[in-house]
Amino acid sequence: MSFSHVLQSIFSALFVASILRISTPIILAALGGLISELSGATNITLEGTMLVAAFTGVVVSAYAKSLVLGVLCGVLAGLLISVLLAIFHLHLKTDIFLAGIALNIMATGGTIFLLYILTGDKGNSSTLASATLPFVQIPVIKDIPFLDTVLSGHNILVYLSFVLTWLVAVFLYRTRLGVHLRAVGENAEAAGSVGINVLQIRWIALLLSGFMASLGGLYMSMAYLNLFQRDMTAGRGFIALAAVYLGGRKPWGVLIAAIIFGGFDALSNQLGSLKIAPQLVQVIPYVATIVALVVYNLRQQAVALERMRRFQDKELTSQEAGGE
Amino acid sequence: MRKIFANAAVRELLRIVLAVSIALLLGLIVTLLVSEDPWGAYKAFLVGPLTKFNRFGDWIEESITLIFLGLSVAIAFKAKQFSLGAEGQMVLGALVSGSIILFVPIESAFLRITVALLAAMVVGFLWGAIPGYLKAYVNANEIVTTLMLNTIALKLYDYFLTYKIKPEGAGYTASDFLPNAYRVPSFIPKFAGNLYDMFSRQTNITLFLYFMVASILIGWFLMYRTPFGYELRMVGSNIKFARYGGINTKKVIVLAFAISGIFAGLAGAHLAMGIHNKLILNITVGLGFEGIVVATMARNNPLFVPLSGLAYGYLRAGADIMERASDMSREMVLIVQALIILLVTAEGILPVIQQRVGQGSNKGLSKVVDSPAATEGGSHVI
Repeated sequence: MSFSHVLQSIFSALFVASILRISTPIILAALGGLISELSGATNITLEGTMLVAAFTGVVVSAYAKSLVLGVLCGVLAGLLISVLLAIFHLHLKTDIFLAGIALNIMATGGTIFLLYILTGDKGNSSTLASATLPFVQIPVIKDIPFLDTVLSGHNILVYLSFVLTWLVAVFLYRTRLGVHLRAVGENAEAAGSVGINVLQIRWIALLLSGFMASLGGLYMSMAYLNLFQRDMTAGRGFIALAAVYLGGRKPWGVLIAAIIFGGFDALSNQLGSLKIAPQLVQVIPYVATIVALVVYNLRQQAVALERMRRFQDKELTSQEAGGE
Repeated sequence: MRKIFANAAVRELLRIVLAVSIALLLGLIVTLLVSEDPWGAYKAFLVGPLTKFNRFGDWIEESITLIFLGLSVAIAFKAKQFSLGAEGQMVLGALVSGSIILFVPIESAFLRITVALLAAMVVGFLWGAIPGYLKAYVNANEIVTTLMLNTIALKLYDYFLTYKIKPEGAGYTASDFLPNAYRVPSFIPKFAGNLYDMFSRQTNITLFLYFMVASILIGWFLMYRTPFGYELRMVGSNIKFARYGGINTKKVIVLAFAISGIFAGLAGAHLAMGIHNKLILNITVGLGFEGIVVATMARNNPLFVPLSGLAYGYLRAGADIMERASDMSREMVLIVQALIILLVTAEGILPVIQQRVGQGSNKGLSKVVDSPAATEGGSHVI
């Protein structure tokens, strides 16, 4: 396939649609990461939470023959990881990173272990007849060419991820709880001293975080694919964490960052048809993540320096004013 | 009695033994719940590695890799840098050392092996320095950067193996075997006669055993007997204090990551030159985070790494045997591993021993706010 073919396919409606599809789990997990990050607890169990939710959703929906039950249990199982993280980090004083690493290992091992018990296969759940989340045709748009391919016919969670971004923005900036949550993340001692229950806020933040990541996991196994595969999240939970930083720790920024990652992923799929070794193309999103992280942090440092300079200027002028 | 418990090292040891026992007990409960023959399965898990001589060899070989990884993680964690980059450094160490043995025409076996080992160390050092530099100077979250670098390293390994190293026309993705003349010799010298025959026929334990011992001692010396080690521990216990004390914390952080990479590079060299004797696909599979549990059980003290490495290597070897001998899958050991990390690092669990002799802890908000040092325990030991 020639280069122009690749260009053509990149600028096609199908490609844009594929970006949306690939970005969705990252958006959902990143929103979860954002909430806990803003409360001052970096949640590295996004990955494990997604995996556990993806697994439970498939298994329960297959055995109970009920989509609703599958989704419900998937979310509950994902929340269990958050609960464990909260207990170990907030009450038993485990370092949050070490607890997170342990829970991720448990999620990886536990899902493969149970998959083998249930299906006799360690690779995937293809023998289970699991349910799929509904796909939605949007009434008017589905009749407009180009737009129908891009916007219509996606899974319900694709649309929900955008709605949730808006809801998270409202929650964080327009509600009392959201403001408290950010205050705790800014300075827990100060927040505590004005009567905010730090422990309670972090519990809520971790649970909300787990809820979002669970939805991302359910999307992986019940929409993006129609089965569970071992390690199927493949680092998306960590990419989501990177998206939180890249997005400037703001809901809409995080959404855009997640879509950028999704875009690189989709791009690497397309470039794969050129005569480039696939391994080298697959590296792109990961290099991009590091570059993005560096760019974000450099910008943060510049902002901090600027603030300090302005503060010093102000001090100087006020000193001069006082001296006169 | 009170005096014994007052000894921090004894207290730590008790804590860890208790944590491992609880984790194993929970493993047994899981086995009872799911296995048709739980006692048989668990017996294979617990005593399997000692039942045959070649299994004993597998255990030791596996433990050598784990101990290198444990040293790598211990150094980074001691400075409280949560580097998860061992896997990437390891796979590049394997790639570089294996390629040198295969392709670099150095006549002398001694020289070629030495160059291969040095190259593995250098590549580990450099690959480790990247996240270190990004953390120290750009404040980039090391968990994210190291995980990204791992994937990049794994893809690079795949790429070189598939397109450059694999013999042309081969139906499998692997290198040729390393030439016999350039293999790392058995750890028992030939003149040992019977003993040499016994070990070299049944096991594949090589000189890496001695490299490992040297690495442990060097790691310990570096951490507890050099100015750099002091700075490393200071940065780990209180980075602000270290900075006020005039320590170049940025340099220390970069070096902590990079030196940690040296040991991971050696672990990779052991995979390529000691265990597989060729480069294969997914050479590091299942080893990614194992260094963390080894270092955690050793409380990030290099002298305790061999103990925890052997203990954990034993569990892993046992899990392999259990999988072959019963209906249990080896992933059970991952669950046990996660439990060990959680139980050992939770300052709030198993506090009984500490509290009885401890100076009393300040309760309240501040404990929630400043999450306590996960790696603190180790610093009391020596």
